Amino acid sequence: MNAPGADKTDTIREPGKRMLNTSADVGAGFAGTGCDPITLELIQGAMMAAVGEMEALIERTAMSPFIREKKDFHAGIYTGDGRLVATSALAGASGGLIEAVLDVFPRDTLREGDIYWYNDCYGSKGVVTHTPDQVFIIPVFSGAEIVAWVEGWAHFNDVGGMRPGSLSSDCTDIYQEGIIIPPVRLAREGVINDDLLRIFYRNSRFPEMIQGDVRALLAAVRLGQKRLKECAGRFRPEILTDAFNRLIDRTAGEARRRFGDVFQPGEYNAVEAVDSDGQGNGPFRLRYRLEVSPGRVLLDTSATDDQSPGPINFLMGPKVAAATLGDYLIAGDRRFMHNSGIADVVDETLLRPGSLLQPHFPAPLGYRGVTLMRHISACLGLVARATGGQSNASHSAYVIYYVRGKADDGSYFLMSDGVGVGYGARPYADGNDAIYLPANENYPCEFVEHVYPMRVLRYEINPDTGGAGRWRGGCGVIREIEVLAPEAMLSVRIDSIVTPPWGVNGGMAALPGGCVINPGMTNERVVPGISDGTMVYRGDIIRIMTGGGGGWGHPYDREAERVLEDVLGGFLTRPRAEADYGVVFTADGRSIDAAATAARRAVRPPTRLFHQGQYQDELE
Amino acid sequence: MSAEVRDLRNAVIGVDTGGTFTDVTLLDLASGQVWNAKTPSTPDDPSRGFADGVAKVLEISGVPASAVARVLHGTTVATNLILENKGPKTGMLVTDGFKFVVEIGRQDVPRGENLHAWVKPRRPIRPQHIWQIRGRIDHKGRELHPLDEAAIRQAADAMVAAGIVAVSIVFLHSYASSVHERRAAEILREVAPEILVTLSSDVMPVFREYERSMTANLNAYVMAAVSTYVARLEDRVRDLGIRSPLMLMKSSGGVTSVRTVRQRPVETALSGPAAGGVGANFVGSSAGETNMIGIDIGGTSADISLIYNGELGLTDHGRIGDWPIGLPMVDIATIGAGGGSIARLSSSGILTVGPESAGAAPGPVCYGRGGIEPTVTDAHLVLGHLPPYLLGGSFRLDLEAATDAIRTRIAQPLGMSVERAAQGILRIADNSMVGALRIVSVERGFDPRDFALVPFGGAGPLHGGSLARAMGMRRILVPPAPGVLSALGLLASNLKAEFARTCVQRSDSPDLAILGEVFRNLESAAIKWLDDEQVPADARTLRRVASLRYQNQGFELSVTWQGDSVDAAAFAATIEDFHVTHERIYSFAQRDTIVEITTIRVDAVGTFPRPRLSELAPAGNIREAVTDTVSMVVDDARVEAPVYNRDLLGAGAEIAGPCLVVQLDSTVLLLPGQVGVVQRLGALLVTDTTV
Repeated sequence: MNAPGADKTDTIREPGKRMLNTSADVGAGFAGTGCDPITLELIQGAMMAAVGEMEALIERTAMSPFIREKKDFHAGIYTGDGRLVATSALAGASGGLIEAVLDVFPRDTLREGDIYWYNDCYGSKGVVTHTPDQVFIIPVFSGAEIVAWVEGWAHFNDVGGMRPGSLSSDCTDIYQEGIIIPPVRLAREGVINDDLLRIFYRNSRFPEMIQGDVRALLAAVRLGQKRLKECAGRFRPEILTDAFNRLIDRTAGEARRRFGDVFQPGEYNAVEAVDSDGQGNGPFRLRYRLEVSPGRVLLDTSATDDQSPGPINFLMGPKVAAATLGDYLIAGDRRFMHNSGIADVVDETLLRPGSLLQPHFPAPLGYRGVTLMRHISACLGLVARATGGQSNASHSAYVIYYVRGKADDGSYFLMSDGVGVGYGARPYADGNDAIYLPANENYPCEFVEHVYPMRVLRYEINPDTGGAGRWRGGCGVIREIEVLAPEAMLSVRIDSIVTPPWGVNGGMAALPGGCVINPGMTNERVVPGISDGTMVYRGDIIRIMTGGGGGWGHPYDREAERVLEDVLGGFLTRPRAEADYGVVFTADGRSIDAAATAARRAVRPPTRLFHQGQYQDELE
Repeated sequence: MSAEVRDLRNAVIGVDTGGTFTDVTLLDLASGQVWNAKTPSTPDDPSRGFADGVAKVLEISGVPASAVARVLHGTTVATNLILENKGPKTGMLVTDGFKFVVEIGRQDVPRGENLHAWVKPRRPIRPQHIWQIRGRIDHKGRELHPLDEAAIRQAADAMVAAGIVAVSIVFLHSYASSVHERRAAEILREVAPEILVTLSSDVMPVFREYERSMTANLNAYVMAAVSTYVARLEDRVRDLGIRSPLMLMKSSGGVTSVRTVRQRPVETALSGPAAGGVGANFVGSSAGETNMIGIDIGGTSADISLIYNGELGLTDHGRIGDWPIGLPMVDIATIGAGGGSIARLSSSGILTVGPESAGAAPGPVCYGRGGIEPTVTDAHLVLGHLPPYLLGGSFRLDLEAATDAIRTRIAQPLGMSVERAAQGILRIADNSMVGALRIVSVERGFDPRDFALVPFGGAGPLHGGSLARAMGMRRILVPPAPGVLSALGLLASNLKAEFARTCVQRSDSPDLAILGEVFRNLESAAIKWLDDEQVPADARTLRRVASLRYQNQGFELSVTWQGDSVDAAAFAATIEDFHVTHERIYSFAQRDTIVEITTIRVDAVGTFPRPRLSELAPAGNIREAVTDTVSMVVDDARVEAPVYNRDLLGAGAEIAGPCLVVQLDSTVLLLPGQVGVVQRLGALLVTDTTV
């Protein structure tokens, strides 16, 4: 870690000794070896355009609902030596994606037109973190040299394993989570090895669907390869490589600068808990200690609990935590590409083998999403500690449930329905209501009813789940589904019920979600938050409720008008508005009694940095 | 003008309201003569600028109001209301349990946005103005629960009490049966006749409830303002003594009567850009081109559209601001790069151009109106791409100030010459535009080299040469009056309406009887519309369109229905056309996979006689058209380049780059290696000998 203020981006400034450009061609390079500042912007634009084009192709042609409606995919471009240059997604910056190929296939054996493929979590050292995610990679050659790599990544619907959808909280090892593809050479010099694909399709319960997905991904990476070759021709390979390095350095420099602004030398702690592993164990705690000293930043996660028997283990790559912090700090500033530079903020991350974050093979990994979301929250907690609460509040983990069964016409169905949650309030805005993840979309009810033997009865905001605050936490969602098939098996994944997401700087914790079958009826049943194997029958009603995000700032500082708007809109109930926000309504509840509100708010309950059940200074 | 032409009501007027100026064009259909007028736009009441412009063009042309056959208009009233979130209090009736469909949206943070920093945009309709009504239709149109009519009456009373101006009714699966929506509308009109009503099944009977809701909501949201606006326009037109119909441009590139626009005002959301696309198509086809890419570069943004086989490309996946609109609209890529785009160097050395714009005020540094940050226009001036004056010499540009701004803010910090910095600014701006040009061409499976570039808007012809070269396009067609092409597009547009409905059918077991019935129903609606618009029989065209996808895909492609009837052969031919289209766009087809039809559409067109522009006189000695020279940066050096006055260039005149061609509303830049020939109808066809 450099000392704050050492901005590496200074290196892109060049002495003005070059000749005036001799061509009006937009793409022409300059004489000399380095990439000048103008060309750098052109290459950044070209890379973002290539990523956008590849992703549009995947989005429009893939078949797994995970990809086509929930948009669980991305594309990426890497330097010749395997560092991420450009992607749109949260993922990818943690490193190792290309090395996983090179570990098996030495660089000098690769040829133009080769395509590589894997989903092997342990084999890739945590590049892939659960088996349904497939990675397709093409090396881009210029002459004999690899100037870049192109990657396409997507979550396929079913790759075999214990249950339809391949993920289940009942899994006890990774072999139950679907077929494992180690890094393989899917194509040699442009010729696809169909036998590999036949094995893969034969292991899926929905082979036509994943066949469509493979075709979409292959078309996308080949498109990316074409674009990168065009770029190498337009700018010259050495200019391209130089530009890639500068784009990474630029992001790294900015991330380090911002890191230095946030984290003064010192030690910061954060603790997060996953409720359960779905097999009766838990809660499991992540314990982070960030040590910032001049010239060195160390993140020690080794006090994290041991790995779980159930599938909430999160096999974390060595740079994942650093990338999470960098991503938060860059915060989508479009001048800085999302690339491996964001992970440059931490020099070393300690991961303890045998812990929840570094499980021993073959521990199951399918539900690592809940742990990933707690990991992100732990990073926010570190920022909160370092800034006295000038960070986002915590969020619930995105929720997913599966309904699997046989329809009346005898066909098997698998509905994997992701449901949004509330995100944490920010120092400048409310938390977002009802969000799953970037670029992940819901299934429209009119889609669900066309495709599955299900009827959606309610789809609404889960009121009061957003933590109270000057800025309110986002609210979760209620989704209620009636089963129209004779019988089906339900699997749910709802975390943060036991330990709801914290509020910060005076903001209060969120309220949790849950799952109930036949709510309010005589045959009502509560389903555990992380569970599988629950049988449901025709006419049963499944109610999925998701939790919210924490609040930010003292609730009494929220304008009474906003509180009223939330009550009238259905985000907040009147009793919670009165209790948490100290507002007093007129008798009809349609407006605020300003004098009574001012009187009540004159006496402010004391707060501390965090709120999680109660106000507290540390996360525990 | 001859008297008999006026008596024949042979004049048509196009009025394009832009952010700064209102452009008005009058065309004499008999002679092909065109008059242009420009007046300042009046955003507080755009109908004033409209009337001023029409009065002005009547005055300069000497055409009496009684000779006007029709007035065509492109408007931004709906667009601005949506983008600025300034609509009135609007309500919604929804299926019980689904009050939050628009609030939840697709539960996503848009791709490319940051999970932590993105802020969900505020919806045009607040949740407290949404009423839930019991009653349920399933996806096949069958009633599961009857409509709760008492609840609708209560909601109507509550809406009146809340001061709701307009309401949209969106019930689940209303594309399959609109019975409940229609009944609810009846009750609303009975209880609260003053409230404007939009039915989702009228506006967009297509599945996916969020997109349908948003389209219906935006329709309701702009309804009052658009109705008031068109009523004012009709008054203004009448006050000017014009007795002929007023028609408005829709997002799909056709015009329609005021009557239709009142019911479906959201269809005008892309009115302005659509007119530009139609104008590009008209000018191009007049010069014999069938495949064109139009790029309209103004002060703040660039709009790009594609024309293939003489038809303007449409999409069902358009957006206005943050919101999806699932109606067919011109497939336009818009980027924040134009003549006023500001070039800025960040503290860490990153040079960006746009999206911030100096706009009309303060404008570029060289305008001398207080702008201090260099813009794309300043870079052009420094490089000699603009003469030091505009608008026929009436407006001087401050070269020294532009040079200073680029030197101190860009060139010196980067350690480069002013010229190189200026070239860099233009290359970055061009690069953004090239990205957008690729979206409408390469990403849609078209090879741009098979297309001619039609640059227009004030700044289009300055960038056309370098953009075409970067795209490998050999031909550039500069319209006669690039700055007012949208107004010309209005004059060249036809009546058009689209009627779509979701009707899911699979290629392995299609129910052709149902498909045929839905097509017939859509055609009946289309014919009724043509009747209402009084389109004569010989001017009518109907076209069937189907949206298809491979089973399990989530994104449809639209292809023309292959045949005159709905039978097995036409179905198979349509499926085959889908395979071919999929392969063209995505590089692969899957003939082993089941294909699904999701939505079918009938497009109705009422064709107006095609306008004929007057021909230019043959060119004389082109030296006489040279009015000046500029010092232009070309190939590492400054050269003296001629400046031609476009008004003095006759048909057949041939000019070679480097040179400038100046005219009142634009400046054309020809690069070395580009040769321009003036066409009979006034367009300048530039051929690039280096491509």
